[in-house]
Amino acid sequence: MRKFLCAALGACAAASLMVHSAAAETKVGLLLPTSGNYAALGKEIDDGFVMALEEAGMAGDFTLVREDSEAKPPVGMAKARKLVLQDNVDAVVGIVSSAVLGAVRDFIDGSKVPLIVANAGNDEATGANCSKYIVRVSFSNAQVNRPMGTWMAEHGVKKVYAMAPDYAAGHQMIDAFTASFTAAGGEVIGADYTPFGKTQDFGPYLTKAKAASPDAVFVFYAGGEAISFVKQYDSFGLKADIPLYGSGFLTSPLYVKAEGPAAIGVTTSLHYVPTLDTPENQAFVAAFKAKFDRPPSEYAVQGYDSARVLIEAVKAGAKGREAIAEALSKVSYTGPRGPLTIDPATNNVVQNIYVYETVADGDALTQKIVGTINEVRDAPNGCVLK
Amino acid sequence: MVASIDFWLTQFLNGLQLSMLLFLLSVGLTIIFGLMHFVNLAHGALYMVGAYAGVTAAASLGSFWLALAIAPIAVMAVGMFLYATVIRHMRRSGPMNQVLVTLGLIFVIVDLVRIIWGDIALGMEQPAILSGPVELLGVVYPAYRLFVIGVGAAVMLALSLVLSRTQIGAMVRAGVENDAMAACMGINVERLFFAVFCVGCALAGLGGAIAAPVFSATPSMATDILIPTLIVVVIGGLGSLRGAIAGSLIVGFIQTFGAVVLPGFASVLIYVLLAGVLIAKPSGLLPARG
Amino acid sequence: MFHQSPLKSLTLAAVIVALALYATLGGYFPRDIVVEIALLAILALSLDFVAGYGGMVSLCHGAIYGVSAYAFAGMTAVAGYDAATATLAALAIAAAFGLFVGAVTANISGIFFIMATLAFGQMAYVVVFEWRALGGDDGLSGIERYDLSTLGIDLNDSLQFALFCLVVLVAVYGVAALVLRGTFGRTLTGIRFNEDRMRALGLSAWSHKALAFAFSSLLAGVAGILAAQHTLFVSPELLVWTVSGEVLIVVILGGLGTLVGPIVGAALLVLLKHEVGAYTNHWHLIIGLFLIAAVMAGGRGVYGQLEHYLLQKAERRANA
Repeated sequence: MRKFLCAALGACAAASLMVHSAAAETKVGLLLPTSGNYAALGKEIDDGFVMALEEAGMAGDFTLVREDSEAKPPVGMAKARKLVLQDNVDAVVGIVSSAVLGAVRDFIDGSKVPLIVANAGNDEATGANCSKYIVRVSFSNAQVNRPMGTWMAEHGVKKVYAMAPDYAAGHQMIDAFTASFTAAGGEVIGADYTPFGKTQDFGPYLTKAKAASPDAVFVFYAGGEAISFVKQYDSFGLKADIPLYGSGFLTSPLYVKAEGPAAIGVTTSLHYVPTLDTPENQAFVAAFKAKFDRPPSEYAVQGYDSARVLIEAVKAGAKGREAIAEALSKVSYTGPRGPLTIDPATNNVVQNIYVYETVADGDALTQKIVGTINEVRDAPNGCVLK
Repeated sequence: MVASIDFWLTQFLNGLQLSMLLFLLSVGLTIIFGLMHFVNLAHGALYMVGAYAGVTAAASLGSFWLALAIAPIAVMAVGMFLYATVIRHMRRSGPMNQVLVTLGLIFVIVDLVRIIWGDIALGMEQPAILSGPVELLGVVYPAYRLFVIGVGAAVMLALSLVLSRTQIGAMVRAGVENDAMAACMGINVERLFFAVFCVGCALAGLGGAIAAPVFSATPSMATDILIPTLIVVVIGGLGSLRGAIAGSLIVGFIQTFGAVVLPGFASVLIYVLLAGVLIAKPSGLLPARG
Repeated sequence: MFHQSPLKSLTLAAVIVALALYATLGGYFPRDIVVEIALLAILALSLDFVAGYGGMVSLCHGAIYGVSAYAFAGMTAVAGYDAATATLAALAIAAAFGLFVGAVTANISGIFFIMATLAFGQMAYVVVFEWRALGGDDGLSGIERYDLSTLGIDLNDSLQFALFCLVVLVAVYGVAALVLRGTFGRTLTGIRFNEDRMRALGLSAWSHKALAFAFSSLLAGVAGILAAQHTLFVSPELLVWTVSGEVLIVVILGGLGTLVGPIVGAALLVLLKHEVGAYTNHWHLIIGLFLIAAVMAGGRGVYGQLEHYLLQKAERRANA
């Protein structure tokens, strides 16, 4: 044990020395959960981020300082302050949990440090509580789900039963879907919000949904809950009569393997699908697979694009906090997920949303894109950048 | 509210299924508590190890049934190792130290699982014969869930027979009632405890392996399951099989029907119940000793 | 029986001075760590008051801490009251919550008591999680630190805030020690050792336990108010049972029933977490091994072990 610890400490010390010896010009704080329930997402984002730096041949131009947010607001807040006040980073990248984003928002805004949000989707962050210093390259909860409401109504679905975990993101996802779905003539005939992070057995809710006999069920679940939900939905025999739709996180490439055949036929919407047939994406997927031996998920792309926007900003000559923040909101390029622009009105990403079905591909599962909604842009919702 | 009989029967089965899973976990814990006053908070971590062992065995051997047999043995082996290295030395050191040590064990086991199996949840396929729904009493219900109910009921029956009809059962009951007196009567309480501990670990492993196809295996399941299991044990009363049965059924049904009837209160209902029971009966409903 | 021994005073002084030096000489982050230690220490010492001296091992002190933080945040950021009123209100709410929990659970003992307090803590968590006016699971921001400019103190300065938290920690320790030395504290300890005998003396164990729990909650409330001012943000995460679990770890690690031990335990755990966390994502593993080793090495906690060792040495010398 002692030996192992010494070796580990030695390796870490050596690694940190190497980073310091490089001629780095921009210091970036990576604030991601590396322990706890969200550690898997943190790792995907980190991998994507590092890959983009290496691909651009600019790994030496950035010094990375990593901190574990544990996806807990108090911890995330303490670590954000450490990065900004002690490490003097030029930009902070990361944040998986919306609660952590809510916690650090005022601090980031007040200390005028650019923050590139690599996951957290709460609508307010680029809405009523937006900030000149907070740029989001991932998605907003409304952005991913709003197009799906319209799409489903257009494809003949009339009555929907909705389900999501009972917390802010769950409500925002379902609300956005409901608004566009009802506007297009559909009807949400019932909804259940399950205790967040405590629900493992969806049986009681599935039985309720079935009894309501809707045309379809629309849900938002992510991570372990998504796996449990998809499998249980199938085992109750609901999938045959009532097709399952949802936010694309439900059948993310990160989890779909664990879901197995139960995920076949589930149709969802998301801002990135690994089977997207564009040269940019094919090159990205091939490079990612070669490096990590697994297909990239939307989280990996979010990490990748976080680095890309930063690289674009630095390439455009931005140096220091204020200049980087300024340059970030002008970034625009075509990447793995298609055209990507930062909306100058809200600092949220403008991107395509893809509707995809999970289908069998031999023994494995893959994603078949069945619809594309181009350049989805959120309304400012009270956002004034200044 | 939907009032059809099918609906309530299905919900009844849902409640029963959850109860049986809780029973598999809590029965080992409660007997260990009762017999040796040992607070083993790492019991949930053993359940998690059972799930991962099941997933791995099923994937490498290609057989669900083999996995179901191997997982309890693997977890029992882990339990034996923990017993030899840590738990045996903590037998007489007071509940607070036991809490701290077993909390430490949770940290260690969870991180080892993360290192070995990664952070991403792993799935396990149901056997073909149990996948898909079947019809029972006019209700369409997942076959696998019926299987879970069946396993839980079988374990329940077996344990109650062993405890009430065999010599070893009598020894366990004597140990729970008064361990000092049992030792005076020539029962090797230490060895008895070890045996019970092993069975408890095996049942936790079985629970984990059975749960994996329904919930998938994740590192967070160690702590997620801990509180519900403790609630079952405490509501039922320490050390008694009847208590574990009653506790599991109460918690399982409250969770299920709470979700249906009072969806907004589903998460708080169980705590209200726990507080209510303890205020009315400070030693749980059916404690082993009066 | 509580006795403010020279060893206790010495340990307390040593830890506080070391932390103050660490904050003064270190950069921004060491100050943040010192604040974290001070908050955890106050919370742990409040738990030690009931657990170590009253035998009531609570698993809802995290919730009490969170309730107080939320009360302070809600009063100032939402309702617009001044900081002084909000402080008094937050302390009153924490104490009232504690009195309620203490009163209904005082007749329960052992693991049942732990679980009953857990139940009340989780209920508080769910209420806060669902309470939209207080931000629900999004949490609540817009909190400000005390304005002590009349004293020439600027709490928005990280060093001054860290030192302020240390001063509060010493004050809380002093108040707890005073109460334990007084009649109430002696009675409480008596109840812990033999409840029946104290009852035979005509004392109500129930009311003493309930009051002790309320007082302990008041102290935990102090930590909560500081926590809200520390992060300038409150979220339901503060109330989760794992926070209570961590506090319990700190108390046992430092030495249950020593009052100064929990302060040592808090410093140890926080520093260990940050030092190990800087090198590996698997810091839980190292901490877990450390906890197991710490208990198996003696089981009295770090401070308890030190006290035990010195006492034995003194005894040997006396016998020689």
